[in-house]
Amino acid sequence: MRVFICEHNWEAMLSCIYDAWSSKLGHQNIRLCTSAPEQYSLLDEYVTVSFDRGKAESVMDAVNLKISPQVYSEIAYAAMSSEEDALDTIYRVLILGFAYGPNVLKMVSYKDVARFFEIRRSVGNEAHHFIEFVRFHEIRKSLYVAHIEPKNHIVGALGAHFNDRMPSENWMIIDDVHKESIVQPKDEDFYFKKLSDDEFTRLLCTEEENDEYTDLWKVFFDSIAISERFNPKLQRNLFPIWKRKHAVEFK
Amino acid sequence: MYEISQDLSLDKKLEILSDAAKYDVACTSSGSDRRGQKGMLGNSCAAGICHSFAADGRCISLLKILMTNHCVYDCKYCKNRRSNDIERATFTPREICTLTTEFYKRNYIEGLFLSSGVIESPDYTMEKMCETLRLLRTEYRFNGYIHIKAIPGASSELINSAGLLADRISINMELPTEESLSVLAPNKSVKSIITPMSAITEGIASHRLAIGKDARMERAVINDRLSDTIFSDGRRQNGRIGADNRTEGIKDGKIIESINSAILSNNVKSGGIFLPADPKDTSLKRPFAPAGQSTQMIIGASGESDFDIMSTAQTLYKGLDLKRVFYSAYIPINDDSALPSLETPVPLLREHRLYQADFLLRYYGFKVGELLSEEKPNFEVGVDPKCDWALRHLEDFPVEINKASYDTLIRVPGIGPTSVKRIMSARRYGHVNFAMLKKMGVVLKRAQFFITCDGRMMGNIPIEEKFILNRLTDVDRKTAYDIQNPDNSVQMNLFNDFGLSAGTA
Repeated sequence: MRVFICEHNWEAMLSCIYDAWSSKLGHQNIRLCTSAPEQYSLLDEYVTVSFDRGKAESVMDAVNLKISPQVYSEIAYAAMSSEEDALDTIYRVLILGFAYGPNVLKMVSYKDVARFFEIRRSVGNEAHHFIEFVRFHEIRKSLYVAHIEPKNHIVGALGAHFNDRMPSENWMIIDDVHKESIVQPKDEDFYFKKLSDDEFTRLLCTEEENDEYTDLWKVFFDSIAISERFNPKLQRNLFPIWKRKHAVEFK
Repeated sequence: MYEISQDLSLDKKLEILSDAAKYDVACTSSGSDRRGQKGMLGNSCAAGICHSFAADGRCISLLKILMTNHCVYDCKYCKNRRSNDIERATFTPREICTLTTEFYKRNYIEGLFLSSGVIESPDYTMEKMCETLRLLRTEYRFNGYIHIKAIPGASSELINSAGLLADRISINMELPTEESLSVLAPNKSVKSIITPMSAITEGIASHRLAIGKDARMERAVINDRLSDTIFSDGRRQNGRIGADNRTEGIKDGKIIESINSAILSNNVKSGGIFLPADPKDTSLKRPFAPAGQSTQMIIGASGESDFDIMSTAQTLYKGLDLKRVFYSAYIPINDDSALPSLETPVPLLREHRLYQADFLLRYYGFKVGELLSEEKPNFEVGVDPKCDWALRHLEDFPVEINKASYDTLIRVPGIGPTSVKRIMSARRYGHVNFAMLKKMGVVLKRAQFFITCDGRMMGNIPIEEKFILNRLTDVDRKTAYDIQNPDNSVQMNLFNDFGLSAGTA
C-alpha cells in the first residue's frame, strides 16, 4: 500500500488528492493522511506530497464542476477535522461523488459517506461550541483578543460569525493548539493567519491583562444560578471541562 | 419608594438585580435572524446561542437582570414582593447599556433580558424600561437580541414602543387558573394579563402582514410536513387570528375561557392595533417583536393538574400565537400560608415532563387531548409522555422505517424531527437498517420496541405493554415512581415478566 502524506492545510490536501488519484495504483491500494504515522509499517511505501498550485486548482475545479459547489464546500469544511482518517474519507467520498454526482452526500448507506457525515458533524458541532464559548479579553482600549484550544482546526470557521457580529471592532481569535488565528481590523475584512512561534509567544500573555468586566461577569455568573437546582452533572454535560480552559467564569 | 443606601457599586447592583431575576426562566435568544451592520454592534441568530451554563445547568444566553427590584405589588410567590425585607437596588439606563455592550463585545452574552419590579406604577416602570432600550438601540448602536418583559397594566402605547425596540416581548402568566391567581397574586387579574397579551398578538400579526408575511409566527419546519398539528388550522386561514382557533370544551371558569373571549371579542379594540407611531422616526425602523411573544407559568405553587397547564399552553399557542410557553418549577422562597411549605421539594421532574410535552406539541404534531385527559390529568413519572402515548397505542406499532410517513415516524419514541429528516433523505438512496439508524442519531434504546427495518425487528421483542414498559423506565425514576405509587409495585416474576414457560422436560 502506498501512503500519501501531506500537511494539514487545504491546498496541500487538494494536491495530495491529485497525486493519489493520478498514481493509478487502484483506490484500494492507497491511503491518504495528514500526519506522519506514529509507527511506520515495513510493507507500506510512504510519499510526502507538498503544495502545488496547479494540482490543487485542478482538483478544486473538478469537484466544483463535475460534482457540485455544495459538495466542495462540505468537503472543505470536513477537512478542518483532526481525525486521522479525515482526508482518506474525503478521498473515498470523492470517488463515489464522481460516479454518482451531487447527491453523493445523502447516500449514507455507503460506509465512507456515513463516516464523512460523522466527521463533518463533529467539526460543525465543535465550531458551533466555540462560537458560544470564545471569550474575548480587552487589551488596551478596544482591542479584543481570544484564545481557544479546539481539537479540530476550526478557527477559520469562526470568522464569518464574528465578522457579522462585531464588524466595527478590532478583534483576533487565536487557536493555541494549532497556532492559527483569524484577525479582523475595524471595519475591514477578516483574514486567516498562521502564527510564527515568535508571534505566538508574544500573544500568549494577553489573558493576564486586567479587564474589569471579567470580574463583573463572574459576579453575574455566580448569582444567576439557582442553588436549589444545583446540577453540576448537567453543567458538565453542556459545557465540558476541556472546553472551559479559556472561559473566564471558571477561573 | 426610596433606597436606604444610594451609592451601591456596579458589581453590588449587578449581584442584587441578577439574583432577583434568576427565577425567570426564559433565557432563549432564538427566533430572530438579523445580520450585523457596519458601525453597529451585534447580530441575531435564529437558532439562538448559549454562551455559558450556570451551576444549575441552565444556559446563560442573555444578560438577565431586573431594572429594579423595588416593587409595589405583593405577589405571594415572588422574592421581590413588597413585604419582603431584602436589599433593593436600581440600575440607571446607562449602566444597563454599558454592561450589555461590554459583555456582548467579550462574547459573554447574546443580548439583554430586561425585566423589572413595578416602581410607582406600571406605566412609570414601562416608560423607564423603554427609555433604556431606546438608548441601547440608538446611542449605543446595539443590534443584538433583546427580550423585554411587559408590565401588566402598562398602557398600550408603551408596550407598542417596547415591541418595536425588542426582539421578543413577554408577559408572565405565572398561574394557569383564575382562582390561584386571585389567591397568590392579588394585584393581578386574568384580564390585566390577557388584554395586553392579545394586544401584542394583534400587533405582531399586523406588522407581519404589513411586510408581506403570514400573520402567524413561523414554526419548526417539521410542522409543514405533518398533516395535523396545533398550528395547522391557523396556517390555512392565512390571515387574522380568528375565532376558529379557540380551544373548545376544556374545563370551565379557566383562563382558557378568558383567552377565548379575548379572541372572540377582539379585545384589542380598546387599545387599537399597534402601528409604528411615527413613520418618520428612522432610528426605529424595526419590525415589531420579530421573535414573537412568550410567557411563563409557575409549576407546583398551586393545585393545577398537568392537564390544566398543558391545555392553557395549547390555547396560548393556538389562540394567541405565542412562540414559547415556559414552565418554572416553584422554588419555595417565601413562608406563607397560601403557599406550599418551605420544605417542599422543587418539582423538577414534573417541570421536565411538561417541557417534554410542550415540545411534543410544537415539534411532533401532538395535541394535549392525546397525551392527557380528565381521567388521566398528570404525566407518568416513570416514562416520558411520548413513550407513554406509544404504550397506550401499541396497535399502531411496529412501524416500518423504510415505508412510514412523516406523521407516523415522528410519533415513534426515540425518533425526533432531525432523525426523521435524515431517515427520509437516506431512504431515497438505499435501504435503511438498524446500524444506519444508530449513526443517524436515533435513540434505539427506545425506538427498538416500535420499529422494523425491512420487516424485521431488532431482536425478539413481543409487542406487550408490560414488557416494553419495564424496559423503558429508567431505574432512578422507576424507584421514585414506585415509592409514590406503592400499590403499583408487584413482585417480579420470571414466568410472566420474562416470558419463560415452565419447563416440560
